Amino acid sequence: MDTLSAITELAAKQFGRDASTITADVPFQQLGADSLGMLEFLFELEDRFDITISQDDAAKMQNLRELAALIDRELASTSAAPRK
Amino acid sequence: MTGLGVIAPNGQSAADFFAAVVAAQSGISLLSPAVISAPNSFVAGQVAFDASARWRPNELNVIDRATQFALVAAGEALADASLDLTEEETFSAAVYWGTGLGGASSIEESYRGLFASARARVRPSTVVLGMNNAAAAQISMANGLRGPLLNFSTACSSSAASIGEAARAIRHGYADVVIAGGSEALLTYGNVLAWDAMRALAHADPVDPSRSCRPFDVNRSGLVLGEGAAALVLESSDRARQRGAKIYAELVGYGNASDARDISKPDVDGQVRAMRAALKDSRIDADTIGYVNAHGTATHVGDVNETAAVKCTFGERARSLPVSSTKAVHGHLLGGAGALEAVVSIMAIHDGVIPPTAHLETPDPMCDLDYVPREARRASLEAVMSNSFGFGGMNSVLIARRYR
Repeated sequence: MDTLSAITELAAKQFGRDASTITADVPFQQLGADSLGMLEFLFELEDRFDITISQDDAAKMQNLRELAALIDRELASTSAAPRK
Repeated sequence: MTGLGVIAPNGQSAADFFAAVVAAQSGISLLSPAVISAPNSFVAGQVAFDASARWRPNELNVIDRATQFALVAAGEALADASLDLTEEETFSAAVYWGTGLGGASSIEESYRGLFASARARVRPSTVVLGMNNAAAAQISMANGLRGPLLNFSTACSSSAASIGEAARAIRHGYADVVIAGGSEALLTYGNVLAWDAMRALAHADPVDPSRSCRPFDVNRSGLVLGEGAAALVLESSDRARQRGAKIYAELVGYGNASDARDISKPDVDGQVRAMRAALKDSRIDADTIGYVNAHGTATHVGDVNETAAVKCTFGERARSLPVSSTKAVHGHLLGGAGALEAVVSIMAIHDGVIPPTAHLETPDPMCDLDYVPREARRASLEAVMSNSFGFGGMNSVLIARRYR
């Protein structure tokens, strides 16, 4: 499964929606993401992908497409520089 | 008091719960192995409850188990009262809640993530799940109540304090309507062991675990922890009368006093002063009290000292005054206990029945009052007293009177 599909499923669960109603470009607010819900969602993503999403990066994210791209970049950089 | 709501180990509505209390039906059972793996001798008053049937997973991310109970009980009480508040009235509708340990299960879960998992991670919602005022806040949010919003945490007397303070708030004009009560969900691995470490917990009765909590009985072995919530809607008698509300009873007295002596051992003197303060506040004669719902946790020192305190407060009349502890069938709800037992006391007046002390076979020789053993009694009650005595020597006593 690609990153976007995976996080769309997680978003559906996190925001209590049907995954088929969520599109990649809809703003998070329109998904019903309140501030704490968004924090929980980011927490889940960090767990799922074993990455760290910085607060600066997180603040810029508007929708799932941008978030999927960020996760892919993080995954690429962690695999380029293996963990201890 | 115009609305009641309960979710308890032996009943999931005020009516079902009180019927179980009167019939001495126990909600106490062996502790679920999901909390502490068997075999062990722990028992508890556990609520069979499927949160996922009531809330979506994303909602449950921010509603701890104790708060789930609070929302259910408050919802029932508000529906029972048929308040139908106008926009304007919501500004003077208050929530006064009581919790002992707040989101105990969420806090424990956070420790598990922190100390027992490879990645030391704590969920972002841990703070709002675990904080003691979470239940009060969620009740206010769920029901659009925008008046004063306060939480009381005075251990085992938390929700007796919340009810008493609610009545004062109405009397002094700070609120017109208050939803008051308390909730607790403390049946966690660490918490059960902490209570056990105090050597305060009852062992499972080898024949029938549901009979493990035996207040005032010489063969008692300690208290039994319980979980759940109870809520009451309070409003001024003028308001209730004008809108033609069903009125269960009138809260006429509230007294507080502290022991100022020991952090865990209850003291006779503080209890006596709390009862006297409530009687003074109620302006009714002590002889008018027809029933005392005891704190009665089924610890030796608790039972003996409360017995002495009742004797000291009521004098000769104590010998003929019915005193019972309903914890025998629902366990000790800590922050929820005062409200749950206030519901018992109010329903006793309303239905004209004194609930029994279940499982009381052989009274402790040091406990020589009329504890209404095993069987409920019909009685026309003019007024009742409900005692709640918390760790830290925090004593709150409520008096309710038949409404006329």
